[in-house]
Amino acid sequence: MKPDKLWRVATWEVTKNAGGVDKRTLAVMALSIAAMGAVAAVAVSGGGTGLNADIYRVGVEDSSPYYGVADSSGRFRIQEPDPNALRQGNQELGFRGTRLLSLPQSEKQAAALADFRSTTESYNDRTLARAENQTAAFPVAVTLVYEEQGGTSVLDARESSTDSGTQNGTAENGTGTSTADGTGAATNGGGDGTAAGGAGGGSGEGSDGAASAGGGASLGGLGAQLTGDVQGGTPADISPPFPFESLVLAFLYIVPMNFVIQAYGSSMLSERLNRRGELLLVTPASRGDIIGGKTLPYFAGAIGVAALITAVLRFSGIAPSGSPIAVLAILPIAMLFLAATFCGAMFARSFKELTFVTVTITVSLTSYAFVPAIFTDVTPIALISPLTLVVMDLTGQSIGLGEFLFSTLPPLMTALVLFGLGAGLYREEDMFTQRSIPLKVLDALAGRIKSRRSAAKMSALLIPFIIVAELAAIAFLFVLDSVSLNVFGTNQTLGIVLVLGVVAVVEEIGKSLHIYAGYAHARFERTLRSALGLGALSGLGFFVAEKGLLIVRLSDLESLPIGDAAVSGATPPAGVPLWVVALVFLFAPLALHAVTAAISSVGASRGRWPYVAALGGAVVVHFVYNFTVVSTFA
Amino acid sequence: MIDARDLRKEYGDFVAVEGSTFSVDRGEVFGVIGPNGAGKTTTLKMLAGLLEPTDGDAEIAGLDTETTEMRQQLGFLPEESPLYEEMTPLSYLEFFADLYDVPSDVAHERMHETLDELELEHRDRPLGDMSKGMKRKVAIARSLINDPDVLIYDEPASGLDPLTTNYVIEFTEQLAKDGKTIVFSAHNLFHVESICDRVAIMNEGQIVARGDLDELQAEYGETRYRVYTTVDVPDAVKENGNYRTVVESMDAVERTRTAAESSGGHVVDIRTEESSLEEVFLNVAEAGTRGTRYVGEHE
Repeated sequence: MKPDKLWRVATWEVTKNAGGVDKRTLAVMALSIAAMGAVAAVAVSGGGTGLNADIYRVGVEDSSPYYGVADSSGRFRIQEPDPNALRQGNQELGFRGTRLLSLPQSEKQAAALADFRSTTESYNDRTLARAENQTAAFPVAVTLVYEEQGGTSVLDARESSTDSGTQNGTAENGTGTSTADGTGAATNGGGDGTAAGGAGGGSGEGSDGAASAGGGASLGGLGAQLTGDVQGGTPADISPPFPFESLVLAFLYIVPMNFVIQAYGSSMLSERLNRRGELLLVTPASRGDIIGGKTLPYFAGAIGVAALITAVLRFSGIAPSGSPIAVLAILPIAMLFLAATFCGAMFARSFKELTFVTVTITVSLTSYAFVPAIFTDVTPIALISPLTLVVMDLTGQSIGLGEFLFSTLPPLMTALVLFGLGAGLYREEDMFTQRSIPLKVLDALAGRIKSRRSAAKMSALLIPFIIVAELAAIAFLFVLDSVSLNVFGTNQTLGIVLVLGVVAVVEEIGKSLHIYAGYAHARFERTLRSALGLGALSGLGFFVAEKGLLIVRLSDLESLPIGDAAVSGATPPAGVPLWVVALVFLFAPLALHAVTAAISSVGASRGRWPYVAALGGAVVVHFVYNFTVVSTFA
Repeated sequence: MIDARDLRKEYGDFVAVEGSTFSVDRGEVFGVIGPNGAGKTTTLKMLAGLLEPTDGDAEIAGLDTETTEMRQQLGFLPEESPLYEEMTPLSYLEFFADLYDVPSDVAHERMHETLDELELEHRDRPLGDMSKGMKRKVAIARSLINDPDVLIYDEPASGLDPLTTNYVIEFTEQLAKDGKTIVFSAHNLFHVESICDRVAIMNEGQIVARGDLDELQAEYGETRYRVYTTVDVPDAVKENGNYRTVVESMDAVERTRTAAESSGGHVVDIRTEESSLEEVFLNVAEAGTRGTRYVGEHE
């Protein structure tokens, strides 16, 4: 890749397209983005209550100690105390000094009082947290001690105490069968979810420990509602509190990406239609120069918008801690959006198909970015999405290098692999052919197959896809981690069973699709011996690269049962003899991957439907193996 | 200047080009002709480095066709050359000049000179607003922007009106006179005949005959004699007061002369008529693909 050529193509891409879009369209687009940003900023600046601003009218004098409380929340509109207004329902609360003028007469007044109490607790906590003498402010100290039980597992000994005296004992919630703190709390979280939420609300800002206790690793009320353990409550009962601010911030960063990929996809596809891009291919500019140059403006645009949003949030005071880390964390997301769109543009035959592809990309990647970010109190899950890093940075939380790498490397590597696969089609004989999307996918894979060894190489190359897919599955299925199943008497959770299923499907496809593509393009001999050999090579390549899954060690994902189950092949427990580790965690997975890949490979050598059938068989074998390992060693 | 050795291109089970071997000397104009689907375009694209041969190899000026250095010396004009219609001729040519590392002052001078020669006006008008002939002229100018030694033109006059076609052919002839090495394909054999020194005839992916035009005509063509007599003879047609008979051998000429004299007349003129390239091509095509005939060349 030559920088001067790349730069020339990039500047051409900008000037060419600038001439193609009229100023009115540009102005409308800019206004739309600005309006969206303004709405989001207003929502965020309202402290997460933008939708509820000034909903309660509170009569309170300047001299009242409650004035500061009412002033601290956007939900309260301060007025002069007026008993008549209270009676007529034109004021929800009224205070003379510290005395409440009248008890609530309506539901709204009752809700206002409950909210005011909660706000008062938060206000007190913040005031106490700022006190110079912290011992006087928080006279109760809590010591956490983690004890081994039966030498097999560590239970959650998390304890909390707040100045209001609320106590959420979670040690007793642990049933003695759980393997990590998350499960213990989640299992019984339904019962104390509301109380914990309330306590969390009161103490969360004052102490990290208390905040964790409120939500812990559990889904609390939200998880319980989704899993049917308790009856539903109000949004205020959700524990952890629904991360409104986080999602609005994340939304701010993701929305511009969708504009960018529309323009990028159209530009890439237009090179393919009517053979427009053919002449660039005969110039001294390489494929890398052309693709890189055409991508650079859109990448720069996406990052520029992220930088602008960060700067606005920082300097407007909405997120004063916003830093370049937020922009760096957006980088892999931008790369992934662009890479997926590039591949889509290489696969699509028309703008109609491209629309379908970009919508699919938008929905999939937005889900990948958003869903983990919802679990803000379960850091390992939340960190699956780089957006969590953005939110953490904007809200002033520290980010470790391990956390940063865990969050950003899988999408970044996946993006690079996608660019590599798409670039394989950026040549005369593939660019201008009109083949269906599935066939183009096979073309892209087959384009990288030169010999039998390519089977191993491709299995290793596709590992980033597999990691991203499995991490996304963990995030999506985490909510089901509290629903127990009695599968063959193993008492696994529904989340774990489903994750094991997804892992088997994803990994078997990752190990065999390129082999099928190779057979479809007559790259391999259609003999049983060849198929078995290719399967073994693919399994070997996958096994070696699978050790890349050790990236999960950069996070605390293994501390969650569902995370542990997904990556159990790479994580032998402590205390197991070395020969067992070697057998079960090295030889057995290698044998598994080789055997299942060989099953799929034999099917692939015989055609499409035999491949589908064989793939199904391989998935079943893989699932049974995983389930046995998890049930035995968990 | 150009060497192609056993070029082969497969698309799955389909063999588009097989065993394509030829060479082109510096300053020569080499024509590639053949029916649709014969493999002409595939061969030219392999020469231009656009397609990777399944087997065999090609070199231009001693450089592998897939190298950047080779592309620097090549001007390629595909049969269809859709342009970036948002751009103007000048911005389009400037962009390609940049990609070929042509200094901007040289590029500026060269593009105006070429567009002058091609008589292209309206250089600031978007390409999308131009006629097909004008766009073709811009495409030709683009192929010359790097002042290449070698030009590969695939059907340069395809789809153009007769006037523009003649203009393009004449311009190509001029390029040949200027010393460019040109590989040229066309459906219109008259164009090939008018400007090519040598031709390769392709059919079903193979070069079935190759050589200079005279030798191909001698090998595959038929020499016919028009014998004009003062009296009527068998198969004669009256023409301008005399009788014309077309025969295919000197023996037949002799028989015609004898017949005329026996009728009291005599032969007034004998004219020789060679086969056109079109007839040569049809004869070769009829002969089938029984291997390449190298006419007047050493294998």
